[in-house]
Amino acid sequence: MEGAARSEREALWAVRGISKSFPGVQALRNVSLDIRAGEVHALLGENGSGKSTLAKCLAGVHTPDEGEIYQRGARVALRNPAEARARGVATIYQEFSLIPTLTVAENVFLGNYRTRSGRIDWKAMRAATLEVLERLSLNLDPDAVVKTLSVAGQQMVEIAKAISMDSSLLIMDEPTASLGLSETHHLMEVIRRLTGQGKAVIYISHRLDEVFEIADCVTVLKDGQHVATAPVSALKMADVVRMMVGFDIERHYPKERNVKEEPCLEVEGLSSDNGVSEVSFAVRVGEVLGLGGMVGSGRTEIARAIYGLDRVTSGRVRLAGKEVRFRSPRAAIAHGVGLIPENRKVDGNFFNFDGPRNITVARIRDVVSMLLLRLSREAEVGRAYVKKLSISPSALERSVRYLSGGNQQKVIIARWLFARARLLIMDEPTQGIDIGAKLDVYRVINELTQSGISVLLISSDFPELLAMSDRVAVVRDGRILCIAKAGELSEYELVSRASGAGEKAAAS
Amino acid sequence: MEPIKRFLRSTIAGPIFAFLAVAAVVALTTPRFLHVQNLSNVSLQVSIVAIVAIGGTLVILTGGIDLSPGATVALVCVSLAHLVRKMGVPLPTAIALVIVLGMVLGLLNGLLSTYGKIPSFIVTLATMNVYRGAAYLITKALTIFSVSPLLEPIFYGRLLGIPMPFYYVVILYGVAALFLRYTVPGRFLYAVGGNESAALLSGIPVNRVKLLAFVLAGLTAAIAGVLETAWLNSGSPAYGQELALGNIAAAVIGGASLAGGSGNMFATLFGALTVAVVQNGLNLHAVQAAWQDITLGVVLVLAVGLDMWRGALGRLLGRLVLRRSLARPEAAPRRPSAPREDGRTNEGLE
Repeated sequence: MEGAARSEREALWAVRGISKSFPGVQALRNVSLDIRAGEVHALLGENGSGKSTLAKCLAGVHTPDEGEIYQRGARVALRNPAEARARGVATIYQEFSLIPTLTVAENVFLGNYRTRSGRIDWKAMRAATLEVLERLSLNLDPDAVVKTLSVAGQQMVEIAKAISMDSSLLIMDEPTASLGLSETHHLMEVIRRLTGQGKAVIYISHRLDEVFEIADCVTVLKDGQHVATAPVSALKMADVVRMMVGFDIERHYPKERNVKEEPCLEVEGLSSDNGVSEVSFAVRVGEVLGLGGMVGSGRTEIARAIYGLDRVTSGRVRLAGKEVRFRSPRAAIAHGVGLIPENRKVDGNFFNFDGPRNITVARIRDVVSMLLLRLSREAEVGRAYVKKLSISPSALERSVRYLSGGNQQKVIIARWLFARARLLIMDEPTQGIDIGAKLDVYRVINELTQSGISVLLISSDFPELLAMSDRVAVVRDGRILCIAKAGELSEYELVSRASGAGEKAAAS
Repeated sequence: MEPIKRFLRSTIAGPIFAFLAVAAVVALTTPRFLHVQNLSNVSLQVSIVAIVAIGGTLVILTGGIDLSPGATVALVCVSLAHLVRKMGVPLPTAIALVIVLGMVLGLLNGLLSTYGKIPSFIVTLATMNVYRGAAYLITKALTIFSVSPLLEPIFYGRLLGIPMPFYYVVILYGVAALFLRYTVPGRFLYAVGGNESAALLSGIPVNRVKLLAFVLAGLTAAIAGVLETAWLNSGSPAYGQELALGNIAAAVIGGASLAGGSGNMFATLFGALTVAVVQNGLNLHAVQAAWQDITLGVVLVLAVGLDMWRGALGRLLGRLVLRRSLARPEAAPRRPSAPREDGRTNEGLE
């Protein structure tokens, strides 16, 4: 399959003239494309571009209003996910559909049990699981309980599940969202193995560098319409971004430098009961200090220790020169520290509140007068931040649940602006949000630093981290290995130190 | 049209309809329902469970649950009776003391559920038994009769021709609704129930907020206990047994989610009224007591179910009658432990 030109390979799946609308929004408009056997076909586009909807049409979740779907040249109707599965389409979503308390083998054959004379044949399934795992060169124990596996391991189980159903098309939605660098590379290998076996993969991701690494060809959608399909070798990243966003981004990352002399945060010998070990660093006013490390290196734990979530066992923290010890987030907030958590859906937003109520919650006293909440003042606050951060105005009236990931993130940022944070800890602020919203977040970071707010930035997107930070601290095993000016650290160096001195990163 | 649509979609619409539907059914099946005397009786009866439901709703808002108010009422009744009748304590003092007692009982529930880290369901299941057991101990399982003649006007008195309990309910519900909508602790109740970890990260003293809910629940149960004693002019450890489930039913029919974060005071009131009207209807038809329990269960499922399904029912009707589907926003993808997704926003705060 490697050498064959794209047009010579079989079109496993094709869609023609697909349109799909939901009440109030035309999600897809006359989209056509081919998916060929043995190729990784990336679907790119901002949130709202229709790529998820298109994938769901192929997965049988949505039925298109117009257009046809063809499998190997024959027209098919995919009325529900079961029919799609039966035709060999397997989807791996961001949220896994595994049962955590069952084993790998039990999950791989979930709902698809092999029986022998009416009884479930566990022996055969276990053997089949082993075979599938071997085919993918996966080092998993079929009897391991899924919840003991890492996120990357669980994702491998999902893939094994897809293979066991003899799928010819795998749709992967943001597969590397929760993976670290080496796990991502392993996934890429697995995908190459799959395509080597003739399977097709639809790869949906916001991470352009990954897409350029793994994809054979790329389709860009914008506002539900097809913009372009081209082999990856014919495209430059800037071209793709331009197609997705509609304007030219020469500088991918719009970083402004606003560092002042005065210290904002000074940490000396900080250790916590959650793995932080003798960490020392300083952040100046208006500075963005990036914490770079692999998943599990202790970056979030450092943030937790500073924010009063974990118990500090030794060391000192000084905020604006004054020594502090925060025993709870409440204390940290009172001193002007804010935290944007990694998992905004679980820890960030109040889905039973609209935008204004989400914004005022960390400093509610500012909308109180004479012991009573002033709802009109709160609404004003809401409007002010909607304007300032370009948040979708529907946030003013409805629950933030209905907002896109990017808008939800901006609401949380607004919360800390309203709470007058002087130091904002941002843990993976652009994870899972589209390019337009990411740019908004970068713009906000610039505005924050402009007004003298410092940022402690945790990001697994190393190009982003290196571009948006003034300095970067390399974190490993709860310790800081070194701190360098962002411009003087290359991604290669960052990765190699973060993954262990002397070990080469698994980069190409 | 727009304000009507907004009302129909609001959280208070469901319980109001449930109440009107049930009242209509009863009124149509027996003429005695609409008699002044009967309506007066119903409103007196509902006042006690309605007041308990205030506290119950507050606890449910934070994501907890309180099964003990019936036992608190029993202990309060019995203590009040004992203080006044057996120990000669003047009535006003005794009332003040038992109110404090109720709050202490609530505090105990709260401490065990928060700092004690035991789920509130288990804690209040236990205290439900402990408090009632204590009541039995105090009176040695007997009923204390004729507590005090001064109690009578508290329950049976009238102001401008309307029974006092009506005023208690209106005032307490008014205060509670204002508290939820316009005060910081009220707002924090919703925040803690809506997303506890986000509340913690936003600097809300989560444990103190939950504690407050339980103390207030103890307070309302104590007030209800005083009223019950006044109603029957006696104190018995057997009182208040129907209150635990009755008040939760009222809150749930009123649209409060047991997961926390959504609920509305006045909706709870209509929930309580719905339950009371159903029970009254059964009484008027001289139905056996057993059927009352069954009916309460059925009403609970129907009322809550209709509220849950009204989105789907609306769409079905829309498709059949108007031939266009009604708006349904695409929900964000969900992690297993993500906050609830049943379309409720700013419950009671709108």
